[in-house]
Amino acid sequence: MPLVSTNRLHKFFGTNHVLRGIKLDVEEGEVVTIVGRSGSGKSTLLRTLNGLESIDDGVIEVDGATLEVDRADASALRNLRQKVGMVFQQFNLFPHLSAGQNVMLAPQVVKRTPKKEAEEIARRMLERVGLAEKFDAFPDQLSGGQQQRVAIARALAMSPRVLLCDEITSALDPELVNEVLGVVRQLAGEGMTLIMVTHEMRFAREVSDKLVFMHEGKIHESGHPQAMFAKPATAEFASFIGSLN
Amino acid sequence: MAYHFDFTFVPDYAGMLAQGVAYTLGLTVVGGTLGILIGIGGAVSRTWNVRPFGPLYGYYVELFRNTPFLVQLFLIFFGLPSLGIKLAEWQAAILAMVLNLGAYSTEIIRAGLQATPRGQVEAADSLAFTRWQVFLHVMLRPALRKVWPALSSQVVITMLGSSVCSQISAEELTFVANFIQSRNFRAFETYFLTTAMYFGLALLVRQAMHAIGRHLIVRRPSR
Amino acid sequence: MMTFSLWDIVRNLLIGGALTLLLSLVAFALGGATGLLVLFARIGKWRAPRALAQMHIELFQGTPLLLQLFTLFFGLSLFGLDVPAWLAAGLGLTLFTSAFLAEIWRGCVEAVPRGQWEASACLAMTYWEQMRHVILPQAMRLSIAPTVGFAVQVVKGTAVTSIIGFAELTKTGSMIANATFQPFLVYSLVALGYFILCYPLSRYAQALERSFHAAR
Ligand SMILES: Nc1ncnc2c1ncn2[C@@H]1O[C@H](COP(=O)(O)OP(=O)(O)OP(=O)(O)O)[C@@H](O)[C@H]1O
Ligand SMILES: [Mg+2]
Repeated sequence: MPLVSTNRLHKFFGTNHVLRGIKLDVEEGEVVTIVGRSGSGKSTLLRTLNGLESIDDGVIEVDGATLEVDRADASALRNLRQKVGMVFQQFNLFPHLSAGQNVMLAPQVVKRTPKKEAEEIARRMLERVGLAEKFDAFPDQLSGGQQQRVAIARALAMSPRVLLCDEITSALDPELVNEVLGVVRQLAGEGMTLIMVTHEMRFAREVSDKLVFMHEGKIHESGHPQAMFAKPATAEFASFIGSLN
Repeated sequence: MAYHFDFTFVPDYAGMLAQGVAYTLGLTVVGGTLGILIGIGGAVSRTWNVRPFGPLYGYYVELFRNTPFLVQLFLIFFGLPSLGIKLAEWQAAILAMVLNLGAYSTEIIRAGLQATPRGQVEAADSLAFTRWQVFLHVMLRPALRKVWPALSSQVVITMLGSSVCSQISAEELTFVANFIQSRNFRAFETYFLTTAMYFGLALLVRQAMHAIGRHLIVRRPSR
Repeated sequence: MMTFSLWDIVRNLLIGGALTLLLSLVAFALGGATGLLVLFARIGKWRAPRALAQMHIELFQGTPLLLQLFTLFFGLSLFGLDVPAWLAAGLGLTLFTSAFLAEIWRGCVEAVPRGQWEASACLAMTYWEQMRHVILPQAMRLSIAPTVGFAVQVVKGTAVTSIIGFAELTKTGSMIANATFQPFLVYSLVALGYFILCYPLSRYAQALERSFHAAR
């Protein structure tokens, strides 16, 4: 049984039919990379997976928690979101909290973890992303790469079953990209289930078990990245690769 | 608890109410126009520290923004005669409104002027505009455009504040309401109705300011 | 006829000034508390409270304070309540203050970037958890300067309650001016009293505003 599975997923923004019947299965421990042109619906797909965007048809199932149209009540959503972590392009750290507090907040508030224990978790998670010494630093005292790593630690502190990453290196200066990719690579190595959108094709080829090419709201082509790059099955994917270099 | 609301007095006093509305609107139009003009003068003097106006405007702004309009009104109407300056009610009311709004609009417009990028001025300088044209089209218009919503709100606030001019017997809308309720003993209905009329006036003034803003300010200078 | 020394005038004005200060504090505290309720109704998910809150805000921002006081004063007396001036003044100013503060604070809540809502939602926080731990702390920092700035408006607003007979600074001033036939002197002193209360607040608000922008 897949850890994440969506079926017949449809999403409209007004009359704009953005997701047109997405069927996607992600196994436990799998690293899936979604690529495609701007506006093809990559972010929207990712955001439906934790209920940031409502869906207009279909179902989403994550580790037994289901989300259906019209039946997204608050507790189902809360249940789902505890299993799905997310990291954003713009970091979105809480500016009024230190790095450590950013990581501690959700375990304390949502899971009612005692403060001491939450602090231990936070220290462990910050260590995992290589920022153990930045526990007391505030977001505006950190570089972009460091902020993004804190954001990853913050998501990990909730022990999600799957982590969603939407272009998490796109807002970074080039010299800071690698420190973040390094953390992601390490997570993949540890067996974390990852679904990410990225423009770092070399990285995607290296770490992904599965590549998904989205085109006009559909999964146009998917498979093993090496194989897909070696021999694109569709003209659209071939031209997409072509446009990359 | 068997109170019956009675608005039957309205037709008898419709003419008076209309006069009150006209008076209030008159105060607002004159006060608004002159107040904004003073504000422009003040903002310019303050921004470029034109002596002696800049510092003087500074005192004026702080004095008028940190004291109640009602006290300003009393000082002008009741206080100035001791200095030999005797003003009619309507003159005192208008003077108080102009000075009050002038102080606020000075600060509002100044903020707009400060937000105008210097590069624009230099660009215009190099296009050989006269200084006056540069000021008007490159500094003032964009500044006013930027702060017009804030200025509009201030005009509405000033209009609503003018209701205390009834206290010096300026015959504006609240004065009329006071008069009516002293005759018909229907104080609640009278004040309720008058409050509703002010609400309508506020909408009207806001719309008017919006329209003025569109026509005078937003249109780009023709080149 | 009584004669007034300057000290007599000042002493009486000081008593009026104390009442002005007291009324300002009460209106600001109660208005702040009420304003918080209005704020939550205004930005909440439920339609009816949202509409009510918006009506409250537009009504009290869109009509003169003086008429709010009159309507309240005479409206309450319709219920057979004999409303003392201090009560009408306190109640009226509280409602007035609540509307303005709710609107100021709404602006601050909405100025918190959407990403903050999304990030906290992704961490499975409920609406109130997001509010309490993520949104309000940030909105609060934004709101300090405009809130202090509005306190000046509250102090000045108290002058209007003199018209319904509350013996604060302006009313005291009017009575003394009538008794002493020295309106210029007395009203100047009254204005000075308000200035002493308001000017430090204004400066403080400006300083907060500046330090906030500098910190960004
Ligand atoms: N909140 C929204 N409201 C309306 N339309 C939206 C919204 N978010 C996305 N869209 C539209 O949905 C479509 C898909 O957007 P999406 O952000 O999913 O694309 P994307 O593949 O992530 O693109 P990019 O590579 O630029 O990030 C676009 O046409 C976009 O304009
Ligand atoms: Mg995107």
